[in-house]
Amino acid sequence: MMAILIIFPLLAAMAGISLLKDYSKAKYVAIGGAVVSAVLLPLVSYGSNTFSWFAIGKLVINLTFSVTPLNLMLLALVSVIAILVLVYSSGYINSPLEQKRYYIEILAFQAAMSVFAVSGNFIVLFIAWEFLSLTSYLLIGFWNRHAAANRAARRALTIIFIGDLALLGSIIIFWHVFGTFGFAQILSSVASQTGIDTTIAVLLLLTAIFTKSAQFPFHEWLIDAMEGPTPVSAFLHSSTMVKAGVFVVILLYPLFLISGIRAIILVFGLATALISTLAATREMHIKKVIAYSTIQELSIMLVAVSSGAVLAAIYFFFVQSFYKALLFFSAGVITKSTGKEKLNEISGLRYNKLAYIATIFGALSLAGFIPFSGFFSNAEVSTALYSNFAVYAIMSGISILTSFYIIRWLSYGAKDTKNSAVQTRYMGLPGSMVYPMAALAVLTVAASAAFLYVGGFLNFGGYLAYLPIQASAYISITDGIFFTVLIAIGAVLSYNVYYRNCVKSGSKAFDRIIYTRQAMEFGYDLVSRVMYGLSAGIAEFDSYLNEGFDRIGRVTVRSGYGIRRFSVGNINSYALIFIIGVLVLFVSFYFLVVL
Amino acid sequence: MSSIYFYLLFVLSSLFVLLNLASKALGSRRREHLAINAVILILILVDLLFLLMSGYSGLFAGVFSANPFSLFMASIFTAGLLLVNLIAFNYSENYVDFAVIGAFALIGMYVVSSSTSLITIFLGLELASIPMVFAILLSKKSIEAAAKLFIMASIAIAVISFAIVLVYGASSSFALRSYSQGTLIAFAGILFISAIGFEASIFPFNVLIPDVYSGSSAYVTAMLGGMNKKVGFAALIQILILVFIADKQLFIIVAILSVLTMTYGNIVALMQKNLKRMLAYSSISQAGYILIGIAAATPQGISASLFQIFSHMFLFIGLMAIVALLEKRNRAGIDDLIGLRSENSYLAIALAIFMLSLLGLPFTTGFIGKLLLFLSAINANLVWLAIIGIINSVISIFYYIRAISAAYTEKEGGRQIRTDKTIAAVVFICLFITIAFGIYPQPIIGLTNNAAAFLFHAAQHA
Repeated sequence: MMAILIIFPLLAAMAGISLLKDYSKAKYVAIGGAVVSAVLLPLVSYGSNTFSWFAIGKLVINLTFSVTPLNLMLLALVSVIAILVLVYSSGYINSPLEQKRYYIEILAFQAAMSVFAVSGNFIVLFIAWEFLSLTSYLLIGFWNRHAAANRAARRALTIIFIGDLALLGSIIIFWHVFGTFGFAQILSSVASQTGIDTTIAVLLLLTAIFTKSAQFPFHEWLIDAMEGPTPVSAFLHSSTMVKAGVFVVILLYPLFLISGIRAIILVFGLATALISTLAATREMHIKKVIAYSTIQELSIMLVAVSSGAVLAAIYFFFVQSFYKALLFFSAGVITKSTGKEKLNEISGLRYNKLAYIATIFGALSLAGFIPFSGFFSNAEVSTALYSNFAVYAIMSGISILTSFYIIRWLSYGAKDTKNSAVQTRYMGLPGSMVYPMAALAVLTVAASAAFLYVGGFLNFGGYLAYLPIQASAYISITDGIFFTVLIAIGAVLSYNVYYRNCVKSGSKAFDRIIYTRQAMEFGYDLVSRVMYGLSAGIAEFDSYLNEGFDRIGRVTVRSGYGIRRFSVGNINSYALIFIIGVLVLFVSFYFLVVL
Repeated sequence: MSSIYFYLLFVLSSLFVLLNLASKALGSRRREHLAINAVILILILVDLLFLLMSGYSGLFAGVFSANPFSLFMASIFTAGLLLVNLIAFNYSENYVDFAVIGAFALIGMYVVSSSTSLITIFLGLELASIPMVFAILLSKKSIEAAAKLFIMASIAIAVISFAIVLVYGASSSFALRSYSQGTLIAFAGILFISAIGFEASIFPFNVLIPDVYSGSSAYVTAMLGGMNKKVGFAALIQILILVFIADKQLFIIVAILSVLTMTYGNIVALMQKNLKRMLAYSSISQAGYILIGIAAATPQGISASLFQIFSHMFLFIGLMAIVALLEKRNRAGIDDLIGLRSENSYLAIALAIFMLSLLGLPFTTGFIGKLLLFLSAINANLVWLAIIGIINSVISIFYYIRAISAAYTEKEGGRQIRTDKTIAAVVFICLFITIAFGIYPQPIIGLTNNAAAFLFHAAQHA
């Protein structure tokens, strides 16, 4: 079966919902559409299909859909997470009037993402990419009664659209260089086309990827995006859409082998990873911590790919979806029960056993504890990066901080609460919210097993022969142990500081650590000062960066005012401009002829 | 056999003007007048489409030529006037007068599209643009805009006459064909670009356009921006391709004007607070995109430009229908769009789709147009022009998103806006065309390809 057919159940469901009189049925139709689409998934066959869309002269614009194991993996990932997100949403979204709009938008996103997953040429890629932006915008601004949500959505869309147009630019230059839009044709002749044009096109493509995958200096939009409903964050802004950029890097890997490009990805990836990790240790908003963590994981994938560890990146790509979606689900459950979004105001997750355990699974997997899938993905990446000491050292530091901030995050939610209303709300959470969490918790463990099969799966049929994928994934024992030690340090640190209440106040956490040993105290103090200093510095820099974007906007606007002065004048000045225009044309024509 | 349908066209067009005048003289009511206009315009449209589909080409009285280009342009102008009539019916106190004026202007547009000589192009342009002065005057508030348009149009007339004189002086001919190259002819080319640049809103000959657009009622603006501007392009394309195709320098100038026009339009649009004014600047920037294809000077480029003309005409008229409706409720600003979604979700979605199409969202005609234009520029080795076009699209994100975002911001206490049936119909037709030909553009591209191929064929064999 052709892969593109699986979006039809989704479209049908969208049409069905829009015709519904009874809004409360919308969720069932949506879940039904997603399930039918997922059931069709095993029927999808490998290979590619090309349809001609339109032609102008000799130029034919084709739509190509291609299914390789890589495409299939993303498609499956989207389908599975979509169902869980829809089920979760049916418990989460309970404002009646907005149900229809919500489910239509989510299904539209899923359709766009599915098309993206099977795109086989740049035309399809661009179309899907653009619709991802649009649906993302709609869903971020879903609570459009809040001014903040509108502002966030607009900022996100602006950044994202800049990337979209960069993508369009790169596509047009690729076409100029290669004479085709097809991935297969471009990849087969990329080795012979290494001129400056190709480099510019790849750089533009990279800009698009950095905007979509929220890499420095475009990462802020993902934080703003947290204004959207939590299931949306779980779906778009952690487990699927934001990974589109990384997916393109993997899919078109040979394009990025041009000299210098890999170094750019590596440097920006590491910078983003550092910035976002430090920001995550400091952030107090329950969703934004996980959002920073998403940015960090996207950077790690990019760093892995740019270092040639494609298999490690793909495996990371795969397993990250589960625990990240799970953590967002937890955040949703917590906010719903406590009504608070600040970390130091939330507590009592333990009153819902299933959600509590699932959350612990997610957090431990994110930190990278064995036997959760996070361990295998992280350890595989660090094994692959071992040869480059500087990168390895930075990544090790990031590992410590990662387990530190996620245990910190977990500690706040896990604390006991005396508030009986909150307790009741936790206990009364609907099954539609808790069971998807349980399912994801199972998947975070089950995905560990995929570690054994991912190499074989991707190499099946030789569709991905152009990627450097080993027959099987590999973790060196020493790296595994070293990694575990690192994250254990982070976790213990964090557990003592934030859970065992060794801290009096959240603001100067480390300064107030009461610990038996003087030296330890000093060490903590030092670490804390350095870390706070660093992250404060980064925050400062970040705000400069944001201001920079604002300033660019202001300068453009101001130049607009300057120009406007010309065209508010009277008819004399219009006539004058007309005459001057004619004269200027004459002069420039004269020069053109002479030259 | 088909030539009967061609002659029928002249009968119908004459009838169209006569019936308009008669109906005005007999003092028939708005509703009857609209019915007359709609029926006869639809008849003309059917006739034109029939001729277009059958690939007819012929000559009438030695000056009016039916060919793929003229029939295509005439068809879209006819469709455009039909839609504008529907908007004016609801929002003009003097609908009957407007319809009569529109009928004259439409004839001018036909004349421009089907010319075989510079003289008919000149006459047609005037016939298309001078009635618009009176159309603007129909609203008492717009005297200033009308006066400005009139004075600038006079200057443009002077310049274009001088250009024709130069051509005639150099070659004793008014024919639309390529002449032996010489300084006089080349200078005439520049004067043509300037004078028509005023009609087609090309920078720097367009500076009064925003004044006129925002100073007129929305239905007049719909006609000015949707149709009169396109007539300018019809004239410009014919003159540049048929007469000046060998003058490569002129096309470099067109490329530069394209950059200036779109950059000017986009940057100034950024800080407009009035919706109609913002759309005026946006339509200037769209004129810049259309010029990209002309600058490419290839059949592909012209075809792309024609597609963009087609696309923008319906987008602009559709948007103006919405503006007309809002203006009647004294909501002219972009900030006044706030709450539109809850007041009328159909209008909000339409507005968003039109603007996203202007921005270049896939599956709308705007995307196809832009893609074709940029590709044709690349094909003609104008990579820089394509890149500047894309950078300009980035700038335009900011103001389109602002408007869409305003329409989708909730407002407390908004009441339902009832859409008038005719407005709903106009918006629906424009939406349908935008999306249907965005998903399946081949029929239109086939027509524009033929039109462009015809022009280049004529240029080589004249």
